[in-house]
Amino acid sequence: MNYLTDTSNIFTRYDLNIEVAQQGARKVSGDEILQNVADFVINGDEDGIADVVKETLETKTPMEVINDGLISGMNEVSRLWDEGIYFLPQVILSSDAMNMGIAICEEKMGRSMDKKGKVVTHTAEGDIHDIGQVIVNALLNANGFEVVNLGADVPVDKVVEACRTHNPVMVTGTALMTTTMTAFPKIATQLKRLNLNIPFVCGGGAVSEEYVTGFDMGIWGKEANQAPGMAEDALGGDEWQAMRSKWNG
Amino acid sequence: MKLSSSMAYSSADEMMFGTAKYPVETKRGLKIGGGHVIPEIVPHPRPGSEKTIKTLLREYERANGDALERCVIVGHPYLQVENEHVFQMTHNPKWGGEIAAQTARQMDDYKEKYGLISAYRATVADLRKPDMVGMRDSDYTREVLESFEECAKYADIISIESMGGKEIFDHAIIRNDVGGLLFGQAVLGGLDMEWMWTQIVEIAKKHGCIPGGDTNCAEANTAMFMAGGFISKDVPHTLAALSRAICVSRSLVAYECGATGPSKDCAYEDPIIKSITGIPIATEGKTSACAHSDLCGNVIGAVCDLWSNEAVEYHDMFGASTTAVFTEILGYDVAAMNSSIDLGYQKEFQACLINSDRYRGPHGFMLCPDNAWEIGKAVVDNNESLYVRGKAAAVKCGELMLGDPNLKLTNFEKESLEAYMKDLEALPDKEEDFIDLSLKKYGKVKGFKPASYGL
Repeated sequence: MNYLTDTSNIFTRYDLNIEVAQQGARKVSGDEILQNVADFVINGDEDGIADVVKETLETKTPMEVINDGLISGMNEVSRLWDEGIYFLPQVILSSDAMNMGIAICEEKMGRSMDKKGKVVTHTAEGDIHDIGQVIVNALLNANGFEVVNLGADVPVDKVVEACRTHNPVMVTGTALMTTTMTAFPKIATQLKRLNLNIPFVCGGGAVSEEYVTGFDMGIWGKEANQAPGMAEDALGGDEWQAMRSKWNG
Repeated sequence: MKLSSSMAYSSADEMMFGTAKYPVETKRGLKIGGGHVIPEIVPHPRPGSEKTIKTLLREYERANGDALERCVIVGHPYLQVENEHVFQMTHNPKWGGEIAAQTARQMDDYKEKYGLISAYRATVADLRKPDMVGMRDSDYTREVLESFEECAKYADIISIESMGGKEIFDHAIIRNDVGGLLFGQAVLGGLDMEWMWTQIVEIAKKHGCIPGGDTNCAEANTAMFMAGGFISKDVPHTLAALSRAICVSRSLVAYECGATGPSKDCAYEDPIIKSITGIPIATEGKTSACAHSDLCGNVIGAVCDLWSNEAVEYHDMFGASTTAVFTEILGYDVAAMNSSIDLGYQKEFQACLINSDRYRGPHGFMLCPDNAWEIGKAVVDNNESLYVRGKAAAVKCGELMLGDPNLKLTNFEKESLEAYMKDLEALPDKEEDFIDLSLKKYGKVKGFKPASYGL
């Protein structure tokens, strides 16, 4: 069979045209020891970070390691992803490394570090397609939020109860199927009835903007990577109407 | 279960759309893989219709009925209808059975009234999420098996999109972990399929129904859709292609347990499966853009026997309902393919399909018949175990991608692929060693229960 070598009239490989030149990570700390911690995060080295954090804790306080090493490194990872240099797996591996480092610091402190705020996440009742939620969880976690992960196939009442108990800044719902996303307006109705005015971000698969903006509190999430930005808005006090007008429409 | 040790075709050149080495015939005389391609329409119910059996029956009566009617209106001679169960249809096994019975009656009516030859495929929803239930012993497991019993009484073909290994796959795919893909897809997926498909084949036999096939939709398709098009930054396309190659090890298990095809439409691994088994396959490409996007819109039809649309939600369009419209589109697509066959131009037509997407991206490239056959050959030549053949498929796929200079890769994609090849090389030779290693490495992955797989 003949295979064409000039395919320019058949398709255009835009990915080749737009590839961002590989760049090294920037320095994030003036302190060589803390920069080393940050580098383990930037390189997503979960295997090696435990030793380096333990070693650093001999000369630095846990909060210094967290803020100026682990979180600074993660911020650099976010920048690399935003600029199209890093792919999602690199972000996840960095997040894993950061979390492991934080756990060691917390052990030394004898308490958990303060998180920015809570976000309740779930995948709709009857739906077991939760990889979108897994990514949302990882990204929220990487950005300093406490994730209350309810998992997949979660009944409406359980989501509402979690919101009542945890009083999160935001709640998210993921669904692949149109026949399971029907749980979302039920959740919104119950939250409203209980006067829990929590922005409710819904997305995934066949979940459409038209559907989600058809009920109060609903904000459509097009991509998982929007979740941290949305959570920041909610944390900053934006109500669902303001968030909807910013992110949707 | 004996792992496949030979190829159904001696070369890729023998593989053609419309013809399978081992065709199957349905209750109303539809020959699949018997010389011509057949359209397969997959309607999906609107949200809200799943509330009661009454509303769902009505929804499918209209959706499936519109498809049959459109065949008569425009003169399509054959049609297969697939209903992929929504959660409620499997969770309430009688519901799936009633919908199958209703559709069978509609098809009988159309045959009697117009002579339209059609068949019905019921695809049971695999409700078992590995990290939430025991795969072999849970209420959801029992519902899935009961649903097969109910559907097999009326359907021509039964199928499933099984979920084995999904908990490990999800962990691995977002961590660039090709070893995790091998464990989740090839080993755990294959073990779960052997357990499940032995039972499905028995149920099908009992009811005179065809045990169709499985698909790695839950995993390899997740990888492919995360890799996305040309602007996504979620997963490298090269990793998605390796995931596709690996999944052959598990999707093949259905046929090794006695399934006869037709395979499932969303199993993009099907050209490889066909090269090994000779069963008729269903594929989907450009016509599934209503459900998702891919980079192999034409090439994936190069050796198909059923040509599908994946799933289209039932609602109105300018031209009629979606199922009527997509039935018309699918029917005209296969009319062109079948015309080429009857004119003797099928090789030329196939060359056009292949060249459309061969170098559009890694997935289209690896699924070209020549490359699919090569990957299939690596699988059967390494049939020592689920793991060994899955690894061989991945290595061959990687070699093919790196070996053809016309397949352009971004620097990132190429560097990633070279790293995956090194990772693969470093893995153990023997399955038992690999399983030991994996049980240690993934033992703490949330919800992973080795007992679910008999480990």
